[in-house]
Amino acid sequence: MKKFLTVVKREYIQRVRAKMFIVSTVLLPVVMSLFVLVPAIIVSIETPPMRVAIVDQSGRMYSEIRQALAGDQQEPETQNANASTLRSTRPRRSFARFNVEEVNATNQPLEQIRASLDQRMRARELDGYVILPPDFLSEGKAEFVNRNPGDLFSVQALQSAINRAAREQRLIDAKVDTKTREDLFKPIELQSVKVGAVASQQRNSNAGFAVVFGVGFVMYLAILMYGQIVLGAIIEEKETRIAEILFSSVKPFTLMMGKLVGVSLVALTQLAIWGTAFGVFAIYGVGLLASPEIGASIPSIPFLHFIYFGLFFLLGYFIYATVYALVGSMVTTAQEGGQLAMPIILILVVSFYLFWPVSRSPDSPFSFWVSMIPFSAPIAILVRIVTQTPPFWQIALSLLIGFSTVLAIMWLAARIYRVGMLMYGKRASIPEAIRWARQA
Amino acid sequence: MAANETTVKLDGVSKSFGEFMAVSDLSLDVRAGRVFGLLGPNGAGKTTTIRMIVNITAPDSGSVLLFGRHIDASLQDRIGYLPEERGLYKKMRVADQLRFFAEIKNMRGKQVESKIDEWLARVKLPEWKNKRSMELSKGMQQKIQFITAVIHNPDLLILDEPFSGLDPVNVELLKEIVLDLKRAGKTIIFSTHQMEVAEKICDDICLLNRSRKVFEGSLREIKRSFGRNSVAVRCEGGNGVLDDPTLVSKLVRHADEAQALLATGADAQTLLKRLIDSGAVISKFEMVEPSLNDIFITKVTEPA
Repeated sequence: MKKFLTVVKREYIQRVRAKMFIVSTVLLPVVMSLFVLVPAIIVSIETPPMRVAIVDQSGRMYSEIRQALAGDQQEPETQNANASTLRSTRPRRSFARFNVEEVNATNQPLEQIRASLDQRMRARELDGYVILPPDFLSEGKAEFVNRNPGDLFSVQALQSAINRAAREQRLIDAKVDTKTREDLFKPIELQSVKVGAVASQQRNSNAGFAVVFGVGFVMYLAILMYGQIVLGAIIEEKETRIAEILFSSVKPFTLMMGKLVGVSLVALTQLAIWGTAFGVFAIYGVGLLASPEIGASIPSIPFLHFIYFGLFFLLGYFIYATVYALVGSMVTTAQEGGQLAMPIILILVVSFYLFWPVSRSPDSPFSFWVSMIPFSAPIAILVRIVTQTPPFWQIALSLLIGFSTVLAIMWLAARIYRVGMLMYGKRASIPEAIRWARQA
Repeated sequence: MAANETTVKLDGVSKSFGEFMAVSDLSLDVRAGRVFGLLGPNGAGKTTTIRMIVNITAPDSGSVLLFGRHIDASLQDRIGYLPEERGLYKKMRVADQLRFFAEIKNMRGKQVESKIDEWLARVKLPEWKNKRSMELSKGMQQKIQFITAVIHNPDLLILDEPFSGLDPVNVELLKEIVLDLKRAGKTIIFSTHQMEVAEKICDDICLLNRSRKVFEGSLREIKRSFGRNSVAVRCEGGNGVLDDPTLVSKLVRHADEAQALLATGADAQTLLKRLIDSGAVISKFEMVEPSLNDIFITKVTEPA
């Protein structure tokens, strides 16, 4: 035990003192916020609105279309404002903006109109035009002539606006009054309530879902970042040729466990630093703006669930970290390890997607089994806990299977590692690794 | 410790890796307070034998006794082991590194710090205490590695090719330390294929070849048993005589003299007479003990 702690201590102190640790602790949040900010900035870059002429041969559509397009582009609060404010309002989450104009279609033949519009397009005064034939409302067919048919956003936005305009006009034609029309399209609100719970408590499982998703995401992040480091740490003694010296003092299993725990404590330290920073930011920054809601939503998750979140986060992290350690025990360089470790990420992603089937039917046999398989258990059982909490024995069994698997994988890794060293640093193929584990 | 006490006792030990027989039916006694040379060509089974002594691998059959007990993890702390495959944590400072190796052998507290200073002074590297080991030269690193094996004051020290790659000054320095440790009553197992070094510091030797023991005993007895069948000759002319296979089985020419191993059945008197008869001018003719190197080569190249 003392030797185990010695290994843990060395691993932890050496890594936390390293410049890399300090740099990555500071830099990662900066990089992450760039990832959020840069797309936001790019999206907010404004392109000039599309100039579209509407040739309304039916003679009844133009104002409805203009209104429908305006509805897309205006703030919800100003939706009922005069359509003439269209040009001055800023677009909201809309990639396509339009400047529309009406072309009088009654006096001239269509060909002449087309010719003059084509000419205006060539002169770059216009980006496109829509032709609504006289029988548009009954046939529902229109034509959009434009310079860039690949601009799907604009085409879709236009189609949807014309669609709504046509619907609106058809309802007016059917003598449906304004009040009825508004009532018909009033959106409904679907409240999902946990069985046996009162409606006011339904927020809990929503908050629960969010936290499970968060736990899963942090787990995923921790494995992505620290899996490779675990692998590197396991290989370290091979690359520096220290393994044999150490094995005359400490059992391979103790060494490997010590390294795994040491690296994991580093990971937890880093996550704790980020968590605290984020928490402080949330309380002092966001908390000032929205303190009542935040204050109310956190305690609505039972305390026991937080313990489960913690335990299954650790389980999930360790399950995958030990697989990295196993890979590390088989290879001689980190590069080789990187290639062999690829499937681990795949398993991780697949088990993450189990979030959805399990949340749909948390009580099914499928959900039971995936919450017992160590690789998928952490996410699956947490989803079940926040939806339909399974009996305690299932949670306990899942934890037991999981942590036993961690120990079993480490034991296997230690054996493979030791035999590999005795074989003078040869890289193990998988059948060899199995044979080594048996004969060691 | 009494001279007849046994520190390590191997009894009928065998170890194979799959098809490959690394050590077969090996028995040997390492006496306390002596330097025991474990000699043999590459692949003879030296390293595997050592690994069984330090409990890195277990024998397939036979027993390994250390200090009279079956080897287990607690006995490991009384062993200092410098393997042939060795290194240091590159980015770790020398003092941190040595502290780690002391602690991993269950040595704790203030004595660790004083031992670190003591040993760094002894290998003449005190000013490197707070440097990272990657900043050290290869020779310096080797001396630090040597300290990792001795810092916890082990009763049994096992050195596998400890001097390979060291310059003569440092070889001398480490050799002195090894002999000091022996005087302090430590038992030392010294594994090498460099016979000149082994000859200078070993009391007892065991020669392994192709997984088997060829012979074992005190260096003096072994040399005696080989007899004085080697002659150092310095002469002008008479080359034909020295090349006669009925007289000389092996001839090694140095810069100005030759070493002739007498053929079986030939004696030194006959050789001398033949040289004089051939008209050679002899300035040196001396019976010499066979070097360990000669014994080694003779034994290893002998048909099994």
